[in-house]
Amino acid sequence: MGRFAVGILALPLLVVGGSAGAGTSPETFPLYWVGERVDGLPLAASLRRDDTARYVSFVYGDCEARSDAGCAPPAEIQVWPSCLRNLALYDDPQASVGRPPERISVRGVPAAFFDDGTRLELETEGSTIVVFAGSRGGALTIAAALRSLDDSVAAGHPFPARRKGVSQKEGVQSC
Amino acid sequence: MVPTFKDMHRFVLVVAAFVAVSLAGSPALAHLDAADRYTHNACPATAANRVDPVNVVFRTWGTWRRAESQIVSHTGWTATSGTTQSFADHGGCFPMHAQRASGHGPRFHVRWRGQHPDEALGWTATASAHHEDNVLFPLPCGHAVDSNGPGGSGFDQGRNELERRFTSAGHSAYRVWWGNTQSFKQCDGDYAASDGWTAFIEVHQVNH
Repeated sequence: MGRFAVGILALPLLVVGGSAGAGTSPETFPLYWVGERVDGLPLAASLRRDDTARYVSFVYGDCEARSDAGCAPPAEIQVWPSCLRNLALYDDPQASVGRPPERISVRGVPAAFFDDGTRLELETEGSTIVVFAGSRGGALTIAAALRSLDDSVAAGHPFPARRKGVSQKEGVQSC
Repeated sequence: MVPTFKDMHRFVLVVAAFVAVSLAGSPALAHLDAADRYTHNACPATAANRVDPVNVVFRTWGTWRRAESQIVSHTGWTATSGTTQSFADHGGCFPMHAQRASGHGPRFHVRWRGQHPDEALGWTATASAHHEDNVLFPLPCGHAVDSNGPGGSGFDQGRNELERRFTSAGHSAYRVWWGNTQSFKQCDGDYAASDGWTAFIEVHQVNH
């Protein structure tokens, strides 16, 4: 996994998608994060995937991994291009066997809770933001604090919504 | 007193109603429960004690014993070393049934647990597969799931390898988007995550 140095100095590298071992292509979808700290948790790592999955991730807080047993950081924000990941993927009944997602609206865009409220996905124009947290309240706290990396969307303000007339499935096909 | 036709009719109705209620009461549990798509290092299952993503579902005749028989047969993975993890199911949390690995150094490794039978999928077992390295440098820490590369993360590689081995042996398989892409820190300090796709692999009735 491409791993960025943590801190403000890394952000320009992140915006252009360049970093040692992190690939070279610039991101073509809007990025969102919550800054250097959220809910008392410091930014621990910034990651970028561009293989069988494609996203930029901000990991907040630490945990203790052992041999043969990884650990779950307290919070994480993944930002995917919406053409690869969006709520339409859950229309397949087997995508939510046993527990359909809980559809809600957050800051003016469609969203859904999964995994007993510990995963929240928000569908914005160009990007799907996936928040992992320890609780439903924690996920909503992070969602409220999200802001765009280029400062065009401030914390608490409405997200730009996906363009009308472009269906989610069409979006996936055109990715 | 000899029962009348009316008494018999009433008795039949009562029995029929009892059977209907019994049958109607059970389907609530008769499905694969994917509300929690991770394994855990302890019970009860919480977000904080997640360890690995669930990325394989054995279906049709996917009892845990048949899964074991066919995993060993199709992969040759016979090592049983590894920590115990737990799986969630219908609000409960239960230890895994078994694990197998391709060796003791760098290796493929899968843990699984038999789950509820499902009306559409049949008998099911959920599994977490990965490829891991035995990390010796700069500090020896033991097994760490590979962070991602061209073939995906160690979780994706483990799923792909199981799927490839089973389909090569004639088992059908398909993938379903589950979105369980949370990153997991490994003992070498790197992170690994599933790409969110779960392989549904057919297991047949015959043991090998």
